[in-house]
Amino acid sequence: MTGGGMQGIHVFTWSAGVPPASPAAQAKGENPSALARRCGRDARAPSESSTNRGTLSHIRRWGAALASLAVCLAMLPPVAVGAGDACPPVREMTHGNGRTLTLKEVPFLAEQVKTGRLPPVAERAPREPLVIERFAGQDGPGRSGGEMIMLMAIPREVRMMVVYGYARLVGFDDRRQLVPDLLQDIEVEEGRIFTLKLRAGHKWSDGKPFTTEDFRYFWEDVANNPELSPSGPPLEMLVDGKPPKVEIIDETTIRYSWDLPNPYFLPAQARPSPLFIYRPAHYLKQFHKKYADPAALAKLVDRYRQRTWASLHNRMDDMYRNENPDLPSLHPWILESRPPYQQRIAFVRNPYFHRVDANGVQLPYIDRVYMNLVSPSLIPLKAGSGESDLQARYLRFDNYTFLRQGAKQFGFDVRLWETGLGAHLALYPNLNYEEPVWQAVLREPNVRRALSMAIDRDEINEILYIGLASPSNNTVRPASPLFREEYRHKYATFNPKEANRVLDKVQITMPDGTQGNLRKRNSRGVRLLPDGRPMVIVLETAGESTEETDVLRLVSDSWKRIGVELVTRPQTREILRGRIYSGEAMMTIWGGLENGVPDARSNPAELACLSQSVLWCPKFGQYRETGGKSGEPIPESLAVVRELSELAKRWGRTADCREQERIWHRMLQIHADFQYTIGLVAGVKQPVVVSARLKNVPEKGVYSWEPYAFFGAYRPDTFWMEGKR
Amino acid sequence: MLRYVAKRLLIMVPTLVIISLLVFFIITLPPGNCVTAQIDEILSSGGPNAIEKVRQLEQLYDLDKSWWERYAIWASGALTWDFGLSCQDNQPVSQLIGERIALTMVMEISTIIFIWVVSFIIGVYAATHQYRPGDYIASFIGFVGLATPNFLLALVLLYVGKRYFGVSVGGLMDPQYIDQPWSWEKIHSILQHLIIPVVVIGTAGTAGMIRRLRANLLDELQKQYVTTGRAKGLPPLKLLVKYPLRHALNPFVADIGHILPEVISGSVIVSVVLSLPTTGPMLLSALKTQDTNLAATFLLFVAVLTVIGTLISDLLLAALDPRIRLQGGTEK
Repeated sequence: MTGGGMQGIHVFTWSAGVPPASPAAQAKGENPSALARRCGRDARAPSESSTNRGTLSHIRRWGAALASLAVCLAMLPPVAVGAGDACPPVREMTHGNGRTLTLKEVPFLAEQVKTGRLPPVAERAPREPLVIERFAGQDGPGRSGGEMIMLMAIPREVRMMVVYGYARLVGFDDRRQLVPDLLQDIEVEEGRIFTLKLRAGHKWSDGKPFTTEDFRYFWEDVANNPELSPSGPPLEMLVDGKPPKVEIIDETTIRYSWDLPNPYFLPAQARPSPLFIYRPAHYLKQFHKKYADPAALAKLVDRYRQRTWASLHNRMDDMYRNENPDLPSLHPWILESRPPYQQRIAFVRNPYFHRVDANGVQLPYIDRVYMNLVSPSLIPLKAGSGESDLQARYLRFDNYTFLRQGAKQFGFDVRLWETGLGAHLALYPNLNYEEPVWQAVLREPNVRRALSMAIDRDEINEILYIGLASPSNNTVRPASPLFREEYRHKYATFNPKEANRVLDKVQITMPDGTQGNLRKRNSRGVRLLPDGRPMVIVLETAGESTEETDVLRLVSDSWKRIGVELVTRPQTREILRGRIYSGEAMMTIWGGLENGVPDARSNPAELACLSQSVLWCPKFGQYRETGGKSGEPIPESLAVVRELSELAKRWGRTADCREQERIWHRMLQIHADFQYTIGLVAGVKQPVVVSARLKNVPEKGVYSWEPYAFFGAYRPDTFWMEGKR
Repeated sequence: MLRYVAKRLLIMVPTLVIISLLVFFIITLPPGNCVTAQIDEILSSGGPNAIEKVRQLEQLYDLDKSWWERYAIWASGALTWDFGLSCQDNQPVSQLIGERIALTMVMEISTIIFIWVVSFIIGVYAATHQYRPGDYIASFIGFVGLATPNFLLALVLLYVGKRYFGVSVGGLMDPQYIDQPWSWEKIHSILQHLIIPVVVIGTAGTAGMIRRLRANLLDELQKQYVTTGRAKGLPPLKLLVKYPLRHALNPFVADIGHILPEVISGSVIVSVVLSLPTTGPMLLSALKTQDTNLAATFLLFVAVLTVIGTLISDLLLAALDPRIRLQGGTEK
């Protein structure tokens, strides 16, 4: 892509006291990003990016950040969320040429700065802050101040701020590019040596420095402490079971190196629920046996009613759950109110946040965020009467018309975003269903293909989604560079005749070794299993939404035409999961692939039986997760399922992105061919309520857990409020 | 009288013990425990140490012990106002429930007052104006109130309230007063928001009360002494208030014992729908997630309120009706 350097995040040094970018960094600047190299990316990159940098620095010398921004924007290709290269380069960093960016004091904090309770902004932001020049929305740099209200259902959702806040070592932006965020820079060699460079002068929300000591603390004192992590370091940190070599080079540089490539490491950092490989050491040491005074620690353990120091530490250090207001944070907004939360949760801006805009205004723009706690059934009603400034959670497509009605009266806008799921809803035949005859039936690919072909997806789309979704297998979405038409449509076109023909021909090998078929039918026209029972599929649902029940009724009608009866059985979510994992549930309905817009570097684990949460083969996953202690190994007869697991493993061992792309395609092809999951419709739109006063929320976007972290990739810290409420 | 009250108070103790024991037992009946609900989420985010974390959690909530052991721990703590940890929020239960119980009581008491006042006025009017348009209208409204599901009424009123009166939907106060110190504006806001839940929860109870009062009063109005009084020239109002109404009030007061549990259980659903910061929604989610400590504590409080409510209604009845008082005396 041309202009890669221009859209890059430009890091300016802003104070006279700071030397210009170090020679090392400049030398690095001459080369394309190391990550791009890792991907075997074209050799043209260096010349292109250096030319760009040339013009850019020329413009910069003329000053006016705005001018340069305007030029940058003019040269931007249209923002295409569409398919592109499956191996996009990781965005390059361009280093400032010693240009000075004067930071402006945040009005909200001015009083505290004046009284000396906070240092001035120049001392709070890192020496080289992340300068945001390109916004996901269309409104550009904005004004500091204001409050934003969102609606949530339960206190536990306080963690959504970690998702929305989306401060990550590296994170995805709105174009699904992986960019350094908390990190100033990252260098990857051969896909196995990761050198992380922190921002000098970066501070936690309590003003204490954020340094490699925080990484060391996590690695040595948390991940490798047998009491805190009895099973050792997190899986993403192990390659073939071996931990990395961790070298602390200086206060801001740390290197992790493995013997073999580790493609899980960076994506794990960019997840909505990331792998935090650092902890606020200065705060947590008081809870750690190695550092704390035993008597004081014992007192703390008592006070928080824990049994051991380890469980206390585990409770205090959970950076994802976000339930400890005292735990220092790096996010744009930090927890202000203390639990228990009865009616709302308040967040206030992090005075030490590391992002600033090109005008020198420290982000986030919005001073306070409130999450009002409301029962989920009321959320559409409340959002529809203007009581939320930004709402997508708990809104469903069928709320759309209602929301639109109130839009004018209460001053908000309803946008329809894409959802990122591989399929909005998919059926999951359980290959581990414990009853042997049914197990044999469900393991027969032709049965699944016939079931898929016998679903009238167009009808579902027309009746339940007024034709706005699209019939699809559970596969990647067209926006993904890995998308192929075949993955979406194979066996997904309504053809009961063919389905009947296929079912008539099916040969089932029974548990006792005899062959059977499904040709016989009873008086109601329902096919009979080889042992004479009617072919009644019991599908268990989480029973929370009427949507699922409606869809299943249509499926049930069309399955009748091929002699298969469908019975649905609602369960509560927790019980249902248990039943799936233990093989008691025959089939379930659930959302499709979490990440429906992956590129080759996204982890394909969801497509293989690597964990028990893969709903079509939970026991195979369990077997792998527990190292064979529970679950079942994949039998010889399911060679293709084995191949999927092999492919997923192979994906993890290579640093060659093209190879990873091939692996992805093979896995997607297998899924289309073998219909392990039966996708119904995809592309159901997500209504997003945006207050008319809230700026920079994109008109079009993708609302998904991965890779967008819901709003996270659009950087809510760049949203701003116009005028007073 | 004092002995009677003391006896009633003493009986409350075993009643409450049995109630809480039953509650504890029933909550533990379904498969799984309160950590089950969290396991999945821990497993998906916790990596290889998830199992260990789950074990730690189970220990924290004493789930490795049997239900009666946990009951003993909880009950002995309850005596010192320590109800253990809530499983969902990992917070001491006593911190979670305080404000909610207070708001619940405010709401419930206002509902009962609403029921009384409205049904008293309408009931008396309907009885004295039997088979006239006023009676029909009152009966009609009463029946509609009785027949409409509470939650539906709640949703309709919510929408109307927002659309035409600008009262924010649900909740017990405008968002800006949340977590703010008490002030007249806050109380005003709460009162404003109380209207919908009180009307919604009250309607069903009101309808029943109206019918009962009307029927009782009609019975009394037919009696000889009323005719005699009228013949002797007593003014109609005095006649009504002094004699038949006093008789008819008897079941009215005795009904408090009935209304109280009715109002409390009715308010759970309505509170969930209206997302009121009362005990209802929290109780429901505690029951769903098998958060025994929290649920048992709530139900204990509800039980205490009900038992006390019944006692008060009995005492009121005795105060109101000399026959009951005297009967009690002869027994002594």
